[in-house]
Amino acid sequence: EDAERISSADVAVVEARRHLLNEWYSWHEQMQEELADERAALGLPADPIAELLEAKTAEVAPGGEEQVIE
Amino acid sequence: MRPILLSGHERALTQIKYNREGDLLFSTAKDQHICAWFAHNGERLGTYHGHQGAIWTVDVDPTTTIIASGSADNTIRLWEVKTGKLLKTWDFPTAVKRVEFNEDGTKLLGVTEKRMGHLGTIVVLDIKVDVNAEQSDEKVMTIVCDESKATVAGWSYLSKYIIAGHEDGSVSQYDGKTGDLYYNIPVHELNQQITDLQWNSDRTYFITASKDKTSKLISAKDLEVMKTYSADTPLNSATITRKKDFVILGGGQAAMDVTTTSARQGKFEARFYHKIFEEEIGRVRGHFGPLNTVAADPTGKGYASGGEDGYVRVHHFDKGYFDFEYEVERERHNKLAAEGR
Repeated sequence: EDAERISSADVAVVEARRHLLNEWYSWHEQMQEELADERAALGLPADPIAELLEAKTAEVAPGGEEQVIE
Repeated sequence: MRPILLSGHERALTQIKYNREGDLLFSTAKDQHICAWFAHNGERLGTYHGHQGAIWTVDVDPTTTIIASGSADNTIRLWEVKTGKLLKTWDFPTAVKRVEFNEDGTKLLGVTEKRMGHLGTIVVLDIKVDVNAEQSDEKVMTIVCDESKATVAGWSYLSKYIIAGHEDGSVSQYDGKTGDLYYNIPVHELNQQITDLQWNSDRTYFITASKDKTSKLISAKDLEVMKTYSADTPLNSATITRKKDFVILGGGQAAMDVTTTSARQGKFEARFYHKIFEEEIGRVRGHFGPLNTVAADPTGKGYASGGEDGYVRVHHFDKGYFDFEYEVERERHNKLAAEGR
């Protein structure tokens, strides 16, 4: 009887966690979609940082090639 | 998980920031200089000298070209990361308690202290992420906090909102362009100061820490409190880990009596909670005083804490940390893997 009671409590805990996990990920996915739509509507790149880093790399090594000094 | 101890400060730490790649750490303390460190081995890259007072805050732009700092000497300063060169100084009537770059590094906000004759404000500066550029003197926006001073603030996704945490325990959402106040919501206990505000990677939600011994996970869009983490001590800092769904809280009661056992034995702890389930999952002790600042490595490999004891402790997570999963998390990962995601 005790074992049964414990296992049903465990099942309830696991069930609650599964619910929390799904709820969280569905919220965050929805938020990410909204964000992607807003970025697109504003004509902004999908990743705000990728372009900046590319620009910096190009500045450090013009033409995207390492400069070799002989 | 043996930590690396960084001893470059002689006074209490105030803030730690990782750069975007997670290879560098910037730390500020009450001892008037900023330190930059290599995260993987704790070697010091350099120091930044010039402030004439305690330094409360530091941030680094997303390309790790410049850092900004705010100090009790009533200035915000901009520095070149690589050389330590001071690029610009902005003067204010009071101390600067918090600075933060927006997501592309083109704007910087500063939180100024309230003092006799001066209300607390949030100022915004335009920034050129270029060490050779002339920076503008002009403040493009000033938000005056006439209800309760802001203690911390940051930029949401798209720089759409400025979110502030206040001395009275409330959180505000302002328009990022006009400074108009949309919401002010009491999320922590009344008059229990908000001590920290840190973002997730896409800046759609953030975590607060408060003297009311709790930390909250809040949506930037509508300020909905989604999660609450309860500790047994006043909190000074909170951070969200990447890769794993955890949060790390730092705090502790300042030891009035220096012979207190906890202070002598380095028992001040960083607390790990599961971000989604709100359950505490572990503690890491080591500091000899309260933790003033915690920061998660943006690549998910580790975290760092800065204490009232003047030390920075850098931790690299071990295999056990990455392997740890709740049954339902494993179930979800297996399901995603099966779907080829």
